[in-house]
Amino acid sequence: MEAENILRGIAPLVGEVIPIRSVQETRPVEDYADAYVAEVNVKTASKVIKALDSAFPRNSSHPLSHLRRFAKHNQIPESLRPTFLKAGYTPSQTIFVLIPSPLPAPEALQTLLAPFVPPPREPAAPQLPTEPSIPCAPAAPTSAEPTTSSSTTTRSSSSSSSNITLHTITVPMQPPLTPQQADLWSSKMWPVVFNPAAPRALIAPPPQTLARVRESIAPKAGHYLALAQVVAAEAERSGLGRGVGAVVVDPELEPEPAQEPAATQAGLDWTGAIVAVAGDGRYSRGEGGKPAPAPTAGPNPKCGTYDADCEGGPELHALMRAVELISSKRREDKPGSRRQQIRPVLYQLEEYFLQKSDAQLDAAETTTEGVMEGGREEEASEDDVAAPPDKYQKTTETEAHAIHLHHHKQSGEGETAEEGSRGAGPRIRSRAQGGYLCNDLDVYLSHEPCICCCMGLLLSRFRAVIFPRRGRMVSGGLASEPVVKPVPVEAEAEAEAGGEAPEATGEAGEPASKQAREYYGLHWRKELNWRALGFEFVAAGDGPNDEGSSAESGVAFHA
Amino acid sequence: MANHIDSRHAYFMKQALIMGEKALETGETPVGCVLVHNDVIVGSGMNDTNKSMNGTRHAEFIAIEEMLEKYPRSLLHSTDLYVTVEPCVMCASALRQYQIRTVYFGCGNDRFGGTGSILSLHSDSSIDPPYPVHGGIFQEEAIMLLRRFYIQENENAPKPRPKKNRELKTSFETSVSGSQTHTQ
Repeated sequence: MEAENILRGIAPLVGEVIPIRSVQETRPVEDYADAYVAEVNVKTASKVIKALDSAFPRNSSHPLSHLRRFAKHNQIPESLRPTFLKAGYTPSQTIFVLIPSPLPAPEALQTLLAPFVPPPREPAAPQLPTEPSIPCAPAAPTSAEPTTSSSTTTRSSSSSSSNITLHTITVPMQPPLTPQQADLWSSKMWPVVFNPAAPRALIAPPPQTLARVRESIAPKAGHYLALAQVVAAEAERSGLGRGVGAVVVDPELEPEPAQEPAATQAGLDWTGAIVAVAGDGRYSRGEGGKPAPAPTAGPNPKCGTYDADCEGGPELHALMRAVELISSKRREDKPGSRRQQIRPVLYQLEEYFLQKSDAQLDAAETTTEGVMEGGREEEASEDDVAAPPDKYQKTTETEAHAIHLHHHKQSGEGETAEEGSRGAGPRIRSRAQGGYLCNDLDVYLSHEPCICCCMGLLLSRFRAVIFPRRGRMVSGGLASEPVVKPVPVEAEAEAEAGGEAPEATGEAGEPASKQAREYYGLHWRKELNWRALGFEFVAAGDGPNDEGSSAESGVAFHA
Repeated sequence: MANHIDSRHAYFMKQALIMGEKALETGETPVGCVLVHNDVIVGSGMNDTNKSMNGTRHAEFIAIEEMLEKYPRSLLHSTDLYVTVEPCVMCASALRQYQIRTVYFGCGNDRFGGTGSILSLHSDSSIDPPYPVHGGIFQEEAIMLLRRFYIQENENAPKPRPKKNRELKTSFETSVSGSQTHTQ
């Protein structure tokens, strides 16, 4: 069979699977803001909190719980000490309280805190010069750079030492993403607490989840991406599409790693978990009553430029076509049904995997109905109870996505029973058998998908999306930052602050030759209700600025 | 409110709402739309994700597909979309790729909205020209359609959430009743 010969001849790409950072990680938005700090009598600390909370209620949607409310003398960042500690109190006398945004009027705050002024200083320190009070001035424009915190302004209503002095500092408004970031902020800005769980969930995938999925997809990603490129080549050769391909894998069908040493992945063994492939078909549709064009010897001459009127729509892109092929199995379309008739094109490899998906898995002695209705659903609900990652993607009370991680595979418990239950039935479960959209499937793409397809994959509930870095597109929706060598957090934030507009090229080390683009990082946006894990495949030998071989510098079109 | 709205816009948005009603009747998320070229409806659609088991079958795609059976896609340059809910990120990008002329929508979409609520794909830099967007046309009607849908249980979900005790809310925040417009 020709398709099988093609599959046997596929040489896996060699490289590394790298998580795509979320835009909240690469582009911390409004990350820093001003806050007041006041030195108060340490004995009145709890009263200070009560007074502050009742007078200036905290914004519950932005609780800023990563910022410590008090700092002892030894917790004050080095750069703030000259300003803060010059009043000369000893650590046993006073403590510093933070009043973050929304900032109250300074006069109101000073009045409120007046009862909690530090006790009169011991007479031992009368030699302190009376500082002229610095006129009240708005803090310097907030910069994304933590080091600016050393420039504080200080406000006191009069020279009287019995009044509360307000220092203005800069504090991070988002919780730290890593313990290192927490340490950095604590040493430069204000003491910060790192909480690995809750706040990060919206900003980035839980690290354990990301690491586990990455580990599970890494061994075969090179194979699947090589196949995506072969599918792409077939689409291009037909003249009916651009050279873009998609491969959809059901991770549940992957054999246990132990059963499959890399050496035995020769032949067709490695294709066992593939449920569908699809190539781009943008030139394949007959529009305005014209018949669908016939395959020609490609590539289609229209590939050389971008003309929106010749492109066909995103529903003919590789990812969307893969989604539709899977849906057709979920629906159990009858041969010759209308949906099949209007399917503009079916490539050889697409057909091969479609037919393969009809073949029943080794069902052993279990019957489809019994297992699917009983076993599957119960398994899912057990997972719910046991699996903390389930809640990480939930952002609202409405239906929200959960990444199912097949805990039985990781944990090693109950494997035999559950593996057996998945063994029954077709490879793509129909609606009646519990199949739903593209739940829990992974998609490997030859190119970075367009924004439309990115959202399409979220709406289809894919678990993960992987594409080669060389397949980045200026019109793509997944990348969240330019390809450059890792830069320090500060430098990057600075570049972003100035470079929000994509016109601003040449910044952040971007080669001038590269076309301007937006970086959406759509796989994981805290604003969106659905999320997927996103990975780039960096081929061995790809340099950090290897523009020559990148699709980003080629014809700009929507992949 | 109706007297603020050009009667032509009102007419076509009503047609979109009728498509939304049809979607509700068939158990689909009640979003409907019509494509209008020279004051003629050249395509109409309603969400079809449940029936098709394809999460990308939104009303806009159905309408464009219907239109393309009769017309070439270049007609979209001079075609307007009336849709009951702000296009999602996916549809907002698709409409840009299809180079739609103008989009009119009913209520905003604070979960997935791609023309102002979450992203602004109609006006961001892109390889396709931007398009203008006008929201707030019959938005209360559009919201009520959605509310009537979301008090139901989603029988198609693998794990339907019980919603027995929900009541249909019919009031509107004052801020919601005003017209809201996003333009490029």
